[in-house]
Amino acid sequence: MRKLDIRLLRLIKNSKGQFISITATIILALTIYVSFSMVADNLDNSISQYYNATNFGDVFVEVSRIPKAGIDKLHSIDGVELAQGRISEDVPLRVEDPNEKVNVRIVSIPKEEYVINSLFTIDGENLNNNPNSTVVLKQFFDAREMKLEDTITPYIGGSEYNLNVIGAVGSPEYIYLMENEQTLLPAPEKFGVIYVSEEFAQSTLGYQGSYNEVMVKIKDSHISKIDTIVDEIEDELDEYGVRRTIKRENQLSHSLMMQEVEQLDQMATSITLMFLIVAGIIINIMLSRIVKNDRMSIGVMKALGYSNFNILGHYTKHSILIGLVGSIVGIIFSIPLSGLFTELYIMYMNIPLFKMKVYYIYFVYGIILTSLFCIISGLMGAKSVIKILPADSMRPEVPKAGGRIWLEKVKFIWNKISFSWKMVIRNILRTKKRAFFLVLGIALTYAITMVPVFMTNIWDNLFALQYGEFQTMDYNIDFAKPMDNNVLVELSKSIDIEYIEPKVEIGLELRRGWRKKAVSVVGLERDTKLYNFKTPSGNRVEIPKNGILVSQMLADSLGVNIGDEILIKNYIPGKDDASIKVKGIIEQYLGSNAYVDIETMNSILGEKDIITGAILNSNDEVVTKLQDVKNIRQIQSVQDMKNSILEFMDMILASMGIMMLFGGILGFAIVYNVTIISISERKREFSSLRVLGFDKREIYKLVTRENGVMTILGLILGMPLGYGMCVGIATSVSTELFAIPVILNPSSYIITAIATVIFVLIAQLATIRKIHNLDFMEALKDRSS
Amino acid sequence: MMDNNILMKVESLSKIYEMGEVTVTAAKNINLDIYKGEFLVILGPSGSGKSTLLNNLGGMDLPTEGKVFMDGEDITNYNERKLTAYRREKIGFVFQFYNLMANLTARENVELATEICKDALNVDDILDSVDLGSRKDHFPAQMSGGEQQRVAIARAVAKNPALLLCDEPTGALDFETGIKILKLLKDINEKYNKTVVIITHNMPIGDIADRVIKMRSGEIIETKVNKNPISPERIEW
Repeated sequence: MRKLDIRLLRLIKNSKGQFISITATIILALTIYVSFSMVADNLDNSISQYYNATNFGDVFVEVSRIPKAGIDKLHSIDGVELAQGRISEDVPLRVEDPNEKVNVRIVSIPKEEYVINSLFTIDGENLNNNPNSTVVLKQFFDAREMKLEDTITPYIGGSEYNLNVIGAVGSPEYIYLMENEQTLLPAPEKFGVIYVSEEFAQSTLGYQGSYNEVMVKIKDSHISKIDTIVDEIEDELDEYGVRRTIKRENQLSHSLMMQEVEQLDQMATSITLMFLIVAGIIINIMLSRIVKNDRMSIGVMKALGYSNFNILGHYTKHSILIGLVGSIVGIIFSIPLSGLFTELYIMYMNIPLFKMKVYYIYFVYGIILTSLFCIISGLMGAKSVIKILPADSMRPEVPKAGGRIWLEKVKFIWNKISFSWKMVIRNILRTKKRAFFLVLGIALTYAITMVPVFMTNIWDNLFALQYGEFQTMDYNIDFAKPMDNNVLVELSKSIDIEYIEPKVEIGLELRRGWRKKAVSVVGLERDTKLYNFKTPSGNRVEIPKNGILVSQMLADSLGVNIGDEILIKNYIPGKDDASIKVKGIIEQYLGSNAYVDIETMNSILGEKDIITGAILNSNDEVVTKLQDVKNIRQIQSVQDMKNSILEFMDMILASMGIMMLFGGILGFAIVYNVTIISISERKREFSSLRVLGFDKREIYKLVTRENGVMTILGLILGMPLGYGMCVGIATSVSTELFAIPVILNPSSYIITAIATVIFVLIAQLATIRKIHNLDFMEALKDRSS
Repeated sequence: MMDNNILMKVESLSKIYEMGEVTVTAAKNINLDIYKGEFLVILGPSGSGKSTLLNNLGGMDLPTEGKVFMDGEDITNYNERKLTAYRREKIGFVFQFYNLMANLTARENVELATEICKDALNVDDILDSVDLGSRKDHFPAQMSGGEQQRVAIARAVAKNPALLLCDEPTGALDFETGIKILKLLKDINEKYNKTVVIITHNMPIGDIADRVIKMRSGEIIETKVNKNPISPERIEW
């Protein structure tokens, strides 16, 4: 081996703490980059493969009722490959515990051979024509611990039906199983999908010979013209009462999955870049320090006939080695990590074709990216090698001018500071660049640590805002069909009610120009006590007499402002569309709705005094007591939703722990390296102090005080930085379905500060040995390097 | 035309350092020939310009004016790359403070020099001849000053250079060790027929040279040929 390489390896051995800490930063960067990128690709590819295997539809239209002939007419539209009808309806499922409320969506499967959204059988058999057989969505099957040949009992239109479970299936529509847009988190034991024969669905749900949903597959060649085709489909289906049209891109499971892929990709680049930049800066500082220390050796190398290129290469190899070791170990770590991710996805999502495949191209990209960073930061750190003249390097370097710092001019402060504090302050102000990096590094550590602290509170905050401030009811009841106002009186006879209000909630399509959005429009009493509407800036808003309130997210996607007119598309055949003025834009974190006065709602629908549900407060056993009430489709209990969130807490805590670890490694690498460099730079100064009678502890106190000052500055800078990072994450995670409120309690700031201080202390303790081993006599006369 | 016996020729060499508004003339119009195989000592107090001259001979620095020839070739016209090659192939340096690489052993320090040279000598032979055969695998910190300087000399000689330039080679050593080092340099001069140039402020060292040049304030003030140079053992300071 070349002697310069031996020298390098021994140098690294003598400063292994630095090597390990910087390498750890790079390992982290690469592990995240490779595993996130691979999982994103795997997810994306398996999803499209799955879609192909199951003929996932492109457009889904919910209608009031449509006969087969109505659907067949769609085939005349240019670009439509296939249109099929099905019946889909949510009904309660009878389970052992009468207090437990479980809903299932009954979905019929078309009789044809080639089926849009066909099922992927995982266990048992395919669905047959036996009207008493059903196949169950795998997530629900597992969550309810079902077995093949079990009997399940949905409650349809006032009667119980026993169905024999003959299979567990996957469906492209429910890779990510969520009941609807308002659901916070998947709860597969509370909501499932069961598939039945067309015959069974039509007869029990009252759709003889007709359907309430149309699935459309568009020819691949026409997929770019989907919007025009959708318009034609809607026109064609208008007479059957179009309630909602969903393109594949807006389909709930699909959009959540695509968002997941996008987030993985985003994290793969942003986290990786952040860690590589930090590693690059540390390498730069470390190498420029080493080159400075090695001045004389560099002179000797040049005298011996080594060229600038050789010498620059010698130092740059140091950073390349860090990069190579870091990227190789990172790549090795990334394989089990992506395996783990894959397991998690398989556990929470249903993609039967999902496999963990290794994409070697990311190994190559990772190594190239890391090498690039390391070579550039290495060259930048070592570039002063070129400027060292061999003749000059033999003479000791002229001491750096130690002029007065500005604070010394402020006599009345300066004179009150003790000698050792004066040294601390002077040193900080004289090495401004490094001090700045240390402060920035601690601030970054603080910010990264703050993100998981913030994220653990997201669900609590979201919940508290949505169900504590925005809506304050205990229960939300939906009827199976529109009812007379008097039903509220009947309800109060069955259960003890503290307070109750009627509501009319109907899915409608809102249009503004070319933009349109299908949402649930909620009609409420003008003086509702169970909803508190506020503008994004926090001002209270009332439901207007003539007009509509829209959520901020809805306003954004429709592009409307206060005072604009919105067109409400009426799905009831023969009824006119209505135009209504936006009177307010409100903050709604979960879901995206529009709100009107209940009378306005009735007039839009062309009805009088009908309601579709009720919202209420009660301490009674509402769910149990209303169990068998015929016309109630579902009862949502806020308490149940809260519990389902608690079940998710474990996973949230685990990911928070990992994020904390990231912040910790970063903080350690920065503080440790900067301290080590600072100590090695000031060997001679410390040795002089030792000669003057300072003991090791006093010198260590000096270094600790410096880092202490930097830590305080870092924490102060870290607070706005962390806030900014949380806002950034909240915006990138927020979707049309939910917005994440950025709420950071004082306790979040304190917890983060404590964690950051712990990271700094660990790094600080790791440097104690260097001071302890400092041979001050040697350092004073040392001329070799 | 150059004398066949001349290894290096310095013509009207001047070196002026500019430090802000102050200019320092470190060497003034120096003319000098160095002969093949000679043992030359350049004497002078600090600031006399001897180190400047040495650096210019060794291609470590370039003169402000004048020319420096090695084997008839003007090295002051060399670019960075050629100067590096010149230092690599033609020159061996020995420094006052040895300047060994701290984390390389004695042998590795020598190999550091030889592995980039074309005509390097056998490293073990050289280490044996400087009497370090048994300490080859020691690190500089484990050796005395005299031993370290012997490693430094071995490092310079092993490259098989045309010229050995020694900057105060005994300056950091005690008297007896210093004498041993001078003896070693003299032996190398005779045994390998290497041209050796020593710069020092230590007057008695001049007595062992074939020729002595005295400098003061950047100028050569005297050139003296020693008809009978004495052996290093006999000098005293």
